[in-house]
Amino acid sequence: MTCHEARELFSALIDDALGGEERAVLDAHLATCADCGRELQRFRDTVALLRAVEPARAPAGFVDRVLEAARPTPWPRRWWQALFLPWPLKLPIEAAAIMLVTVGVVYVFRATPELQRAARLESTQPAVMEAPRAAISEPSSLATSQPQETDRARERQYMEKKIAATPPAARDEAEQRAAGLKDASRDVDKRQDIDKQKETSRPAPRTESQVAAKVEAPPARAEREAGAAKESARLPAAPAPESRADALQARRPATGSTAATSLAPPDVSGGLAVSDRDAALRGLAQLLARLGAVEDRRVDGHEGSIIELTIPREAYAEFTRELARLGRWQPTREPAALPAQIRVVLRITG
Amino acid sequence: MEGRTGDDSHLVDRLRRGDPGAFEDLVIAYQHRVFSVALRMLGSRAEAEDLAQEVFVRVHGAIAEFRGDAKLSTWLYTIASRLCLNRLASSERRMIREGEETLTRLASSHASPAAELERSELEAALHRAIAELPEERRIVVVLRDLEGLSYEEIAAALELELGTVRSRLHRARMDLREKLERFLP
Repeated sequence: MTCHEARELFSALIDDALGGEERAVLDAHLATCADCGRELQRFRDTVALLRAVEPARAPAGFVDRVLEAARPTPWPRRWWQALFLPWPLKLPIEAAAIMLVTVGVVYVFRATPELQRAARLESTQPAVMEAPRAAISEPSSLATSQPQETDRARERQYMEKKIAATPPAARDEAEQRAAGLKDASRDVDKRQDIDKQKETSRPAPRTESQVAAKVEAPPARAEREAGAAKESARLPAAPAPESRADALQARRPATGSTAATSLAPPDVSGGLAVSDRDAALRGLAQLLARLGAVEDRRVDGHEGSIIELTIPREAYAEFTRELARLGRWQPTREPAALPAQIRVVLRITG
Repeated sequence: MEGRTGDDSHLVDRLRRGDPGAFEDLVIAYQHRVFSVALRMLGSRAEAEDLAQEVFVRVHGAIAEFRGDAKLSTWLYTIASRLCLNRLASSERRMIREGEETLTRLASSHASPAAELERSELEAALHRAIAELPEERRIVVVLRDLEGLSYEEIAAALELELGTVRSRLHRARMDLREKLERFLP
């Protein structure tokens, strides 16, 4: 056995891990080699130093901290942590997800004509109240503008049907009544406050002064009041359907007396493309006078004029013929069955 | 440790039965040994405490899996050794360690001679010598000479052949013998 081979066995010798034969050969070498004997002693001393190392002690409070860490987290905290922690990572992801869903909803809405048609029917009313021109010319552009108004829009739709079912003569009567009541409502502000309080408690049909108050109220105020009226209609002690309709009808003049007849969608609508708008407007005025038609309302804008008019059914055929002479007439809505008094919305561009 | 085997089997029974105080007794009984291994391997007390805590949390979660064919202490050393070696192997840890070593060197070079004397020179030399061993040799010598595990227990804990344990231990001791030359009689 060489000295190198002998020294390779020192570790096992100290740990008493040598086989009998190995041990005997090593002992024989050590008996004759003083160097290896000294080296073995140094090796033993080194291991003795290591084994004398003071064991480290865990810091104070370690056991408590381990018990705390090992205790299962209560489920609300686990959920909370799973949902929101770590903040810097999960919050942006969640925000992005909400954005994505929103964009998706808008996209689907825009890509689905059925949805837009449904929303158009429902949002015709607020369009008239807040942007009359846009409502008449391009109802579809408003489809996405008032999604939160759906509830109110439904009620309005209900009203529209009711008004549409009303004969035109009766409609005029309602309008006159509202107009006639204007004079009787000079100090309406005070009364409005009282009315508002009453509205929630009294389901009885509206008095005329209340209707008149709405006439004078600025649109925003009318909106709020209509909301209150709606609230009262929802109370458990809800008024009878007639009074509910009455409350809603009260909103009608609030958009301004001129808009009273335009609440219901027009019977006929279309565009008239002309080369000279002023000339066309003059021609149209003459035409209306000749045919006994009435211009209800007119909005002149940069891109064109929008004219709402009412024309007797017997004059309608001539009216469209004459229109075709004034410019290029393209009806967008022209049902086969027309009422005695036809409401027409014309959009003149050129 | 050998003398504790009887206590351990009792403790294992209590742990398996779900005795509420058993886990606490386990932590009390083994906290210093687990912490000691972690400290020798990682060098920093804070990191050692963190790792020791992780060892016990894992034990708590896996106590049902402990089959009892090995000693409870060996099982704990197995978990502690693996976690230490994993942590040392992670790149993040390597970077931190390099920084720490630089700091240690700087600190010792600026320390006052009085402070140097206060600390046992031998103790400091021993710790430094152990810390400088390669990780796979260091864990073997820590488990054998500081913690007193048998070759077989070390082989089981580190999943090594007996021969590998023996040769790594021998290399580690030879290395230490050279570094500690001046402290030998």
